[in-house]
Amino acid sequence: MPLLALLIFVPAAAGLACLPVRSRRAMAALGVLACLITLGLGVALARQVLDHGVVTEWNEFLCADALSAWMVLLISVVSLGTSLYAGRYFQRDLDAKSVTLGRVREYFVLTPLFSAAMFLVVLANNPGVMWFAVEATALSSVLLVALYNRRTSLEAAWKYIILGSIGLALALFGTVFLYAAAVGPHAIEKPPSFNWSHLITVAPQFDHDLVKLAFVFALIGYGTKAGLAPMHTWLPDAHSEAPSPTSAMLSGVSLKIALYALLRFHILAAACLGSGFSRHFLLGFGLFSMLLAPPFILVQQNLKRMLAYSSLEHIGLICTGIAMNTPVTIFGALLHMGYHALAKPVLFFSAGNIHQTFHSLKFRVIGPGVAKVLPVTALFMALAALAAIGLPPFGLFLSEMTVISGGLAAGRTTVCVLILAALIASFCGILQQLTRILPGARKHDQPGDARRADGVPAMLLLLGGLLLFSVWLPAPLQQIIRRAAAIIGGTP
Amino acid sequence: MNAPAPTEIGAQLITLRAAGMLVFQLLLVVQRMLLTNILLFALQSLLLAAIAGIIGYVHDARHIYVVALLTLIGKVLFLPWLLNRQVRRIGITQEIEPLLKGPASMLLCGGLTLLGYIVARPFTALERLGNNTLGIAITLVLTGFFLMFNRRKAITQVLALLTVENGVMLAAVALTTYGMPLVVELGVFFDVMVAVMVLGILVYRIRESFDSMDISKLNQLKG
Repeated sequence: MPLLALLIFVPAAAGLACLPVRSRRAMAALGVLACLITLGLGVALARQVLDHGVVTEWNEFLCADALSAWMVLLISVVSLGTSLYAGRYFQRDLDAKSVTLGRVREYFVLTPLFSAAMFLVVLANNPGVMWFAVEATALSSVLLVALYNRRTSLEAAWKYIILGSIGLALALFGTVFLYAAAVGPHAIEKPPSFNWSHLITVAPQFDHDLVKLAFVFALIGYGTKAGLAPMHTWLPDAHSEAPSPTSAMLSGVSLKIALYALLRFHILAAACLGSGFSRHFLLGFGLFSMLLAPPFILVQQNLKRMLAYSSLEHIGLICTGIAMNTPVTIFGALLHMGYHALAKPVLFFSAGNIHQTFHSLKFRVIGPGVAKVLPVTALFMALAALAAIGLPPFGLFLSEMTVISGGLAAGRTTVCVLILAALIASFCGILQQLTRILPGARKHDQPGDARRADGVPAMLLLLGGLLLFSVWLPAPLQQIIRRAAAIIGGTP
Repeated sequence: MNAPAPTEIGAQLITLRAAGMLVFQLLLVVQRMLLTNILLFALQSLLLAAIAGIIGYVHDARHIYVVALLTLIGKVLFLPWLLNRQVRRIGITQEIEPLLKGPASMLLCGGLTLLGYIVARPFTALERLGNNTLGIAITLVLTGFFLMFNRRKAITQVLALLTVENGVMLAAVALTTYGMPLVVELGVFFDVMVAVMVLGILVYRIRESFDSMDISKLNQLKG
């Protein structure tokens, strides 16, 4: 069975199939169905990768190793959670007349296409095709950011697409430099194979200057899309203005997909130049992102913007973990990707419920006393927030500790102290902000409605998954992450 | 390797056309009429298509003809037509005062050209076609970014982005003879088309809710 091709085609077909559909319910059902199928395919792919190491299709046009398989699992889980949540969410929006059916269809058409593009990013074997797929993720998500057509959401979408396009133009430049390095100084006759799997084997012979240039351009380019500071300025805008399901997708996986693209360049640069060059860049940008986020979390007045800055910090941590370049820290960083992908969407889902109930995301307007009005949502938000700030028993504690202990063991004390400082600062920030709104006397007249359990299946799925995998990481999954870490770490 | 005569002439033709691309870029920087800007972009893309055509002819490479044809259809005919239609529909013909005025921005672009050449110098040994093409390509990218920050109309920003893309494609040709593999070229082409359409939709919606295409009015989101 052509697993890889199906992974891309199933969501794309589901998206296009929504075009003629007239009922919201049918579109939502189609979305969930497609996500269930892709999750099944993703699991099957992970098994095959475990058995065979590398799976290729279409004459090596598509290729999946352990790193791709891990990303595929992340995309499909978050997509499934999001599609479960999106149906009810848009029903409420339709009831409140804040969107038209046409806009809702736009969502159900574009979101599966967004997923399909992300699958293509991680499965493409050609850096050029990977670039094209990253651009496709930006193009399919920008109209989602602008879905509500408010002035602010249009502004956010414009910033997102313009900054994203500038970044991606630079990434394309990086790709061109990489191709120039692959062509080499003499090979005039025949364009060589331009696949990652081939490039990595011949990387040591590449022109060093060209590879350095390629990496720096890719870093700025894909780094913009991954939201690394100081290119992150679009991130809080887009995350706060997009509909909550889209925010969950953007924060849960889209950032990591861009980081994946950057990692491929990092792997190649490390194979050509040794890991020293690209590692230092990743470390600098990662640490800067981590340290920049907490102050913004502390002074933030908007719930979803605060969550966006928290994503910035987590991306920074992942980047830093990889940059420390020991098997333990890379393992911790990849694990952190997974746990963060499970925790952050739950926060955005509950923020979506709050937004629809109080018609605002400003802390001053919402709180205090959300727990009295929306008890279920508040409970999920509190749990997910505890997970996101790294409290046990949730896995993010485990992965953060893995990164830090790995770093300490490798003698990188300064870096680890900085990481800890940033983590503690954002810990206090998020805790302080949420205690402003969740507990306390009720501020609003809305009747407390314990029965209102919107989005519970989606939140239960992701949070339950997070708890389950926190206490029990199945051996095959661990094996996948370990192999992915080995791919980044450069050891066979 | 003995360089046959056609290669020599081809290289000179390519350099000439690349220089032409730079000239059009500089005209774009000082020109404020939107329709003229679109025309300048179309002419610049025409030169890029011509460069691809020359390479295809000199090296007898079929797939480059495809690239040339796509550039011709997409960037010389379709996109300018699309943007033209949009400008006419919105009814704004002139860019408002840019942040940096004509002479000053010309001077700055002169500096950027110099910078482009300096950046390109270590790599001139790698260039296979024509001299200085890489320098021009980098200059196109730099001035494209400058254009983007200097102008405030959404349409001009889209045009600036497209000239940046032209620069990247020129660099691909300069550094690798054949340009990128065909599948990549196709993908990039497709992406650029979709990007401009998506940007067009956004520009239209911005125009509807703000009664303006002035990007400096998009300033509500902070912190």
